[in-house]
Amino acid sequence: MQIGLLCALIPLLPLLGFVINGVGFRRVPTGLVGGIATLAVLASFLIVVSLFMSFPAEGGPQIVPLFDWISVGDLHIPFSFQIDQLSLLMLLVVTGVGTLIHLYSIGYMHHDEGFGKFMAFLNLFIFFMLLLVMGANYVIMFIGWEGVGLCSYLLIGFWNKNVSYNNAARKAFVMNRIGDLGFLLGIFTIINTFGTVEYVDVFKQATSLPMGDTTVLVIALLLFVGAMGKSAQVPLYTWLPDAMAGPTPVSALIHAATMVTAGIYMVVRSNVLYTLAPQALEVVGIIAIITALLAASIGLLQNDIKKVLAYSTVSQLGYMFLGLSATAYTAGMFHVITHAFFKALLFLGAGSVIHAMSNEQDIRKMGGLRKALPVTFITFAIGTWAISGLPPFAGFFSKDEILAHVFEHSKVLWALGVLGSGLTSFYMFRLLFLTFFGEFRGTAEQKHHLHESPATMTIPLIILAILSAVGGALNLPGGGWLSHFLEPIFEGSRQVNPEAFAESTIEHSTEYVLMAVSAGVALLALIAAYVMYISRKAVPASDEADRSMPEQVIYNKYYVDELYEAAIVRPIRSMGDTFYSFGEFAVDGLVNGVAWLVKQSSAQLRRLQSGSIGFYVFAMVLSIVLIFALRFFIRF
Amino acid sequence: MNTTYVPADYLPILIQMGLALGFIVTTMLVTHAIGPKRHSVKKDDPFECGIPVQGDARTPISIKYFLIAILFVLFDVEVIFLYPWAVNFKGLGMTGFIEMVLFMGLLLAGFFYIIRKGVLKWE
Amino acid sequence: MFPIVLLSVFAVVLLFLGFLKSRSVLLPATLLFLVAALVANFLDWNKTYLYFNSMLRTDNLSMVFTAIVLLSSFLVVALSGSFEDDEAAQPAEYYAIILFSLVGAIMMIGYENLVMLFVGVEILSVAMYILTGSDKRNLRSNEAALKYFLMGAFATGIMLFGMALLYGASGSFTLAGIASYASHAQQGLSLIFYVGLLMLLVGLLFKVSAAPFHFWTPDVYDGAPTIFTAYMSTVVKTAGFAALLHLLAASFTYVYSFWGIILAVVTAITLIAGNVTAVYQNSFKRMMAYSSISHAGYLLIGLAALSAQSRQAIVFYSLAYSIATISAFGVLMLVTRQRGMQTLSSNPLSNESFDAFNGLAKQNPLLGLAMATSMLSLAGIPLTAGFWGKFYMFSTAVERGQIWLLVVAVLMSAVGIYYYFRVIIAMYFRDGATEPIRISPVFRYVLVAAIILTIGLGVAPGLLQGLF
Repeated sequence: MQIGLLCALIPLLPLLGFVINGVGFRRVPTGLVGGIATLAVLASFLIVVSLFMSFPAEGGPQIVPLFDWISVGDLHIPFSFQIDQLSLLMLLVVTGVGTLIHLYSIGYMHHDEGFGKFMAFLNLFIFFMLLLVMGANYVIMFIGWEGVGLCSYLLIGFWNKNVSYNNAARKAFVMNRIGDLGFLLGIFTIINTFGTVEYVDVFKQATSLPMGDTTVLVIALLLFVGAMGKSAQVPLYTWLPDAMAGPTPVSALIHAATMVTAGIYMVVRSNVLYTLAPQALEVVGIIAIITALLAASIGLLQNDIKKVLAYSTVSQLGYMFLGLSATAYTAGMFHVITHAFFKALLFLGAGSVIHAMSNEQDIRKMGGLRKALPVTFITFAIGTWAISGLPPFAGFFSKDEILAHVFEHSKVLWALGVLGSGLTSFYMFRLLFLTFFGEFRGTAEQKHHLHESPATMTIPLIILAILSAVGGALNLPGGGWLSHFLEPIFEGSRQVNPEAFAESTIEHSTEYVLMAVSAGVALLALIAAYVMYISRKAVPASDEADRSMPEQVIYNKYYVDELYEAAIVRPIRSMGDTFYSFGEFAVDGLVNGVAWLVKQSSAQLRRLQSGSIGFYVFAMVLSIVLIFALRFFIRF
Repeated sequence: MNTTYVPADYLPILIQMGLALGFIVTTMLVTHAIGPKRHSVKKDDPFECGIPVQGDARTPISIKYFLIAILFVLFDVEVIFLYPWAVNFKGLGMTGFIEMVLFMGLLLAGFFYIIRKGVLKWE
Repeated sequence: MFPIVLLSVFAVVLLFLGFLKSRSVLLPATLLFLVAALVANFLDWNKTYLYFNSMLRTDNLSMVFTAIVLLSSFLVVALSGSFEDDEAAQPAEYYAIILFSLVGAIMMIGYENLVMLFVGVEILSVAMYILTGSDKRNLRSNEAALKYFLMGAFATGIMLFGMALLYGASGSFTLAGIASYASHAQQGLSLIFYVGLLMLLVGLLFKVSAAPFHFWTPDVYDGAPTIFTAYMSTVVKTAGFAALLHLLAASFTYVYSFWGIILAVVTAITLIAGNVTAVYQNSFKRMMAYSSISHAGYLLIGLAALSAQSRQAIVFYSLAYSIATISAFGVLMLVTRQRGMQTLSSNPLSNESFDAFNGLAKQNPLLGLAMATSMLSLAGIPLTAGFWGKFYMFSTAVERGQIWLLVVAVLMSAVGIYYYFRVIIAMYFRDGATEPIRISPVFRYVLVAAIILTIGLGVAPGLLQGLF
């Protein structure tokens, strides 16, 4: 089949699923809803796989123009898709993980009365995510970007009867809008500078610019502001933990595996621009390491199973950006992929636990679940092992590659990174031990109710667990498949800055030592967690318990939300109040005055419409005479 | 002798016309204004003798008259086209014949439509 | 050219179909005929032909205009619901007249000779006089028809006089002949030529209801049966603008300096008269009449500027405007009909007021959505087709450097938002004790199609570009 048609089908199928389930909500039988939604995404996945198989190894990007979209003056924005190594990889992840999570949702959500709506939203999300990834220019990416933001908003507030959930949804929306503004300004600057938004043209023009060009720096920073919002980096990260209000499959799909990595995708996509602006990369690196450490430290003391995973996501996203800042774009993408596997797995596992515990999310009330939920336990343990960066699972390889590149770049950042990795290992094993080991701490009723989840939920878990285990094979140290595959994407960057892409100067022995150090730190953290939570059977104190000062600060998430409230929200609100009272008098008066004027003149003009033909004809003749007079007797 | 005239040369004529028109208008207005007027029922009657006026002269006439009249005009005028065709019958040849058949066909279709609609029925 | 032949034949066939006992065949047959004409229209795609001794021409532009006209009439006919609830109606005749009038409209779109223009205008106008008065028992309908006829005859006289003067000056009725005469504008042209041009323009401006020749519009649109108001305000307007565009672009570009300023002034007056007067109206139908005057003003911007982009702008605008207007009138028809049955009030004025829409969106979400979409499109809010229409129009004015006209247009579109949003506010924020309105499937399809087209063109305006 034609590649154009295939490409158009990929996003169209989920859209179709959305239309069927969305329009037919409450009419499509419940049994069919999940099937339609899952099959739509599965079909897209199969198409992506076939595209991937037939894609030439060293091939350049293939542009698939669908139609002329906007043309204004000299600016032409076609609606076209770009298929290349990068978009193919993202497509595989989005549709692949997406399929599994759709399947999982059938089991997780089918009791919910809004099941049809939920599946429809999930499909819509996939559609927008595919637009984001496949678009051949920044404007289409922006549409996808806004679209996934919208779906995220809708799904966080899915249980819209709960006010705090709605507030969480609104928070996510507003924070993302701040980022989007940066992205939008970035696009405008691109249009202004290059006169086009097509990736191919922009990057071709960019390669001829000198290193450290100021305009490119501005563009790169503006785009990164967008990425900060979507990928939850400091200071715009607080929405992501709150976003856990949504149903767990949503957290897995949108707030862990796909949408939040859009920022990384965008930076990798624009790698030429970033390579041209080393200062921008410095900024990215600093923000990334702050995010990684801050989020990891908050994760240490969280007691909500999903909140721990959320902070871990924020921290892992920090790692990805850290990799990008060291121009290790491949390593960043690698971590995106492995992270998608194990974080989706962990969230789905958490969902399975929550399902079994009758919607209890506090790990202090869990414990000893491994006997009741064997499949969930094993898969969750694999996920934990992988995210902690312990060999031989996926997380070890991807995180290690990032750290190796960072080491080359800056020793300080590397040390901090290793520290963060240790923190990650600690809080993840703390989570694992508190949830699955020891004695059950919940109510008797909950205990009675404990059960393993149905097959639609465990099958995705098992598949994801296998992927998390072997995913590292994609890019083994010393020139793996992935870095080879992605090479054409970074051709432009290599051209503008050959040094950044030179062969690694680190000895192999050094590399092994680095690996050993980071694995060792993670292992130490594991042992520490074991000693604390298994040998000593410690259980985190209740919310009201006394805490030491630093502990108190961390437990309350460094009071960042309170800080924002005091420093930004309140001043803006009082400013708004001031303007409002001002507007009461001046602006309203002006607006009403103009409206009054128009209405009065309307009342006067209306009288001309007398209904008498004689008058109409007279008016016409008079006008004709006036026109003749104007044209022939008045000179101007 | 001067043979080229500019518009200004016509000015005397314009003045002459204006004066003539002005005289008539003024006279009529003035007589209306200064003449004595005495109204009475008898005086305002259209006729001072004869039969008294009955009703309005504008009585409605049946729409059928108009329809018949218009249809007559329509078909009568269309038939006129037959004369030039008959005169040039040989010259126009087969094309002319086909065109005329189409034309007459349409005309007949219209005629059929009129009859079916009952336009020609008088009751 | 095929549509002209086909539609003439189909119209005669429809007249005879009217003799059948059952009325139910008429609507599908008409729709089928229109689709056939639409398909036949595109047979000449990408070719340029002259027909009937260079009387008519087809090129891509004329085909696109023809397609818009056919599409509009398709939607209107589909919404007419075959007049099933009106015993005195004569649907066969109505549909036949619509098809005949389309022949006139297509002649106005594709003429190459002023005589053809005149014939087209007359075919279209006479058909409209009849349709306006088709509600024979309704006094308002009769009054509207008579007014329309008298004023139309007056305008036709002026237009014909103008054509005669043009012929007298240039010695030719063809557009090309007139253009070659006008190309000597540098050496000075006869005064008769300019007078003729102005009179011809006045006649055509009357037909598209541009101020100050718009006085007939509110009375006629208000009095005519709603379905024919929808037809008039879309098809007649599109054909009129196609005719004006062709006339000015083909024959009178050399004398732009003569008519450009006049058209710009007329545009400004039209915009102000239409928009400002619409504010005060309480009847939705009458508001739509003034709104159609104001949209004539927006379309005139493209003519007054007559730049390279004008063709595309006018095509896009007429399409966006037609779709939005038809679906608005469609909803109005449903609401009026239901109100009429509910209150048993014989006074149609109260059924067409803004209050009739109170709470509509809650009872009938689809109707509310359709109406809201068309209002937003007419007001020119982004993500609807109307926004891009206005955008293209304004950019033609910018290209010509007519900034003062642009300022007037932008101010007036702000005024427009006021009265378009009155409907939306009534539908969404007011309460009305209305029963849900029963919507027939055809209605539903047409409304959904209109919504999709409006938003589709609003999201991807490029779909229509590069067509001609």
